[in-house]
Amino acid sequence: MAEFSTSIIEKEGVSIIYLNGYLDAHTAPALEDNFTKLIDKNKFKIAVNFTGLEYISSAGLGVFMAYIEKIRDNKGDIKLTNMNEKVFNIFDLLGFPLLYEIFKTEEEAIAKFNKGKSIGNE
Amino acid sequence: MSGNDRNIFELIQFKLFLVFASGLIIFKFFFISSDSILFKAVNDLLILLTVSFLFISLITYIRNKKSSSLSLIMNIGILNAFLFFLITFSGWIISLFFENAYDKINNPGLASTIISLICVSLIVVFSIYIFVALRHLFLLRQSGNLLIYFNTMLVFFVIAAVASNYFNSRGLLFISDAFFIVSILLMLINSLRISWIAFLTKKEKVTLLFLSVVISVLFIVNAGNTGNNSSISHILLSFSKPLNIFITLILIYGAIYFGMLFFTTLFHIPTAEAFDRKAEEVSSLQYFSKLITQVLDFDDLAETVTDITARLSGANAAWIIWNENDQFNSIANKNIGFVDSTLLNKYVIDKIDWQNLNETVFIKLNDFEDNAKLTQQIKTMAVSPLKAHGKVKGLMIAAHKDERKFTEEAKNAIDTFSDYASVAIENSTLLEESIEKERLEKELDVAREIQRKILPAENPNYEGLEISSVFIPAFEVGGDYYDFFEISDSKLGFVIADVSGKGISAALIMAEVKGIFESLSKTIERPREILIKANEILNKTLDERTFVSAVYGLINFDKMELIISRAGHCPALLLRGESAINVQPVGLGLGLSNTIYFKETLEETKIKLQENDTIVLYTDGITEAKNSKLEDFGARYFTEILIGNSDKTADEISNKVIKEVTVFSKDHSQYDDITLVIFKWKYKNNFDGEKAWQNSVHQL
Repeated sequence: MAEFSTSIIEKEGVSIIYLNGYLDAHTAPALEDNFTKLIDKNKFKIAVNFTGLEYISSAGLGVFMAYIEKIRDNKGDIKLTNMNEKVFNIFDLLGFPLLYEIFKTEEEAIAKFNKGKSIGNE
Repeated sequence: MSGNDRNIFELIQFKLFLVFASGLIIFKFFFISSDSILFKAVNDLLILLTVSFLFISLITYIRNKKSSSLSLIMNIGILNAFLFFLITFSGWIISLFFENAYDKINNPGLASTIISLICVSLIVVFSIYIFVALRHLFLLRQSGNLLIYFNTMLVFFVIAAVASNYFNSRGLLFISDAFFIVSILLMLINSLRISWIAFLTKKEKVTLLFLSVVISVLFIVNAGNTGNNSSISHILLSFSKPLNIFITLILIYGAIYFGMLFFTTLFHIPTAEAFDRKAEEVSSLQYFSKLITQVLDFDDLAETVTDITARLSGANAAWIIWNENDQFNSIANKNIGFVDSTLLNKYVIDKIDWQNLNETVFIKLNDFEDNAKLTQQIKTMAVSPLKAHGKVKGLMIAAHKDERKFTEEAKNAIDTFSDYASVAIENSTLLEESIEKERLEKELDVAREIQRKILPAENPNYEGLEISSVFIPAFEVGGDYYDFFEISDSKLGFVIADVSGKGISAALIMAEVKGIFESLSKTIERPREILIKANEILNKTLDERTFVSAVYGLINFDKMELIISRAGHCPALLLRGESAINVQPVGLGLGLSNTIYFKETLEETKIKLQENDTIVLYTDGITEAKNSKLEDFGARYFTEILIGNSDKTADEISNKVIKEVTVFSKDHSQYDDITLVIFKWKYKNNFDGEKAWQNSVHQL
């Protein structure tokens, strides 16, 4: 199986996790680490950019479910961006679009976060 | 039994000794020494028997004690010292009691008889014990049957002793003298058999050197005293002349033996250290083989490795620096504390290019800054690589307290040994990995067995409906599940599901899912209701990251319709004529969301069945099957194959699909379970032209 890697970049108050490679039962813990670290730092506005992701298995999908409740309890969210068609189809079959906001670009996701914030603050 | 027999035999020997000894004492009390031949003969016979059985009893005693050569020599030395005091002071003690000692010896009263008896008994017992101990030393480390040499000498001792009493007329004196001289020659020959000292360590040899000189001198003094005109010789002579000669011979033999021992040891001392090291190497070689058997336990192995390293190099301390995830830890420390070794580890890792270390290197700790922090001073170290899978996994350290360099021999020994140790460590890690692998395989066997039992053994029989089902498990057990529920003659429920994750956890959830659908299908008919209930249950029991995708359907033979609801699973495919329709009502995977939201979003589709309608249910194991280029089999290709074969029977269609998937993915291992269920509707009906299927509006 090909490798899997992640990186995190902060943009306008949103933590963006970039996924790269194959996300399955063996590589899922690496992504879980990212979520745990962000939550520990009280960063609950998270966008996950799927540009480099080639494959996601059911165990990989489970990672998103594991943290969403805690993040939403803290008025944050996980938004998903830049999925290719194949990955989107997998999410779509499971009904993820009903549970998560999925955007074409990360800018849209950031904009959505910050819009929500401005409404919340004012 | 034989052990018992031997014990009894030994007991008899000892009892016979006691019998003859008491006989001798009684004899001595009743008969004052006389010169008659008869008296001498009876006296000597009794003494011969007593001494013989004492000799035999002591042989067994010493053999059973199994003491080392050095402790035997200590025994001999101590007894000699006793003998010395006895011999030197016996005359003086007797003279304390009696004014004219010599007179008393020749004409003894009761008191002097008792005292001289005690003296003689002690001297006899001590010297026979010494003789037996010498015999034991003689036989040490000897191969072949050498007892004959010793026994010959013993026989000559006895003859020389006895002859002195019976051939004492002037003309015949030479006979006993001749035997005496031959005895001494035999002593000399027998004193050469002392090769056992070669096997002593240097320390033991030095001890032996001092002991042997002291003991040898004691023997000479004692032999001189018993042979001379001393009071003790008078006591002994009056007791029995042959006994006196015999004891003197034993003492002379002792003196010669220990004299020989002294010189031999002296010559052995210079080479003792080299001999020690060679012996150490030989015994270490034996340890090498021990390494092979210890691969089962890594900690044991490490202990042995450092133990041997220290022995081979003569180092003061030894340990292993083990690299675990770039953490350098000390393991199996020998003669060094963990605080010290940790300080040194840091120094070693910084100082040498350990990753590319190929042979033993020596480090002088001249520039070691933390030297003052060490509890024991370390001046030089030998560092050898321990490799596993071609990489340096650890370093074997041997350390000296002084400036002394490691010898060339030590370097070679450590080098060779580190190779051995590397192999052992590599084997150990390989074994650990294969045990882990086997454990996983066993676990997967269990998972596959669970799965096999959960899946239906055969398809149900309904008139007018062809049913085909194929299941191909993946090695890792993917968590696929399908089932049929024969609700009535006119109603057939079915489900296909895929548990997220793999292995035994997925198999156990599958079992739970089967239980849920089995029981729900008995009370609820509507697929949507069943999935809502199933989600309610699974949402409680599954952990957050686990979910189950499923399609549940109900075929109604009276109404000729199929109702399908989908929870996050691959869509069902309806093949009708030349087209394939994705039946994909909206629905979240089971276990992903709470009941309210799940219920809100879940849809249901109703299909009016027409003749030759084919319903295909599958799991993503088919569409995600991969070829060598890691390309997916794909939904499009799958659909093409289905359409191309839609006029065939259900079994033929599924065979065709499986064949295509197998050919496509022949160069790539099957990663996920493959499940394919196909229904083919064979009834003619009256609904031609009517809208065949519709989505029911979901209810809030």
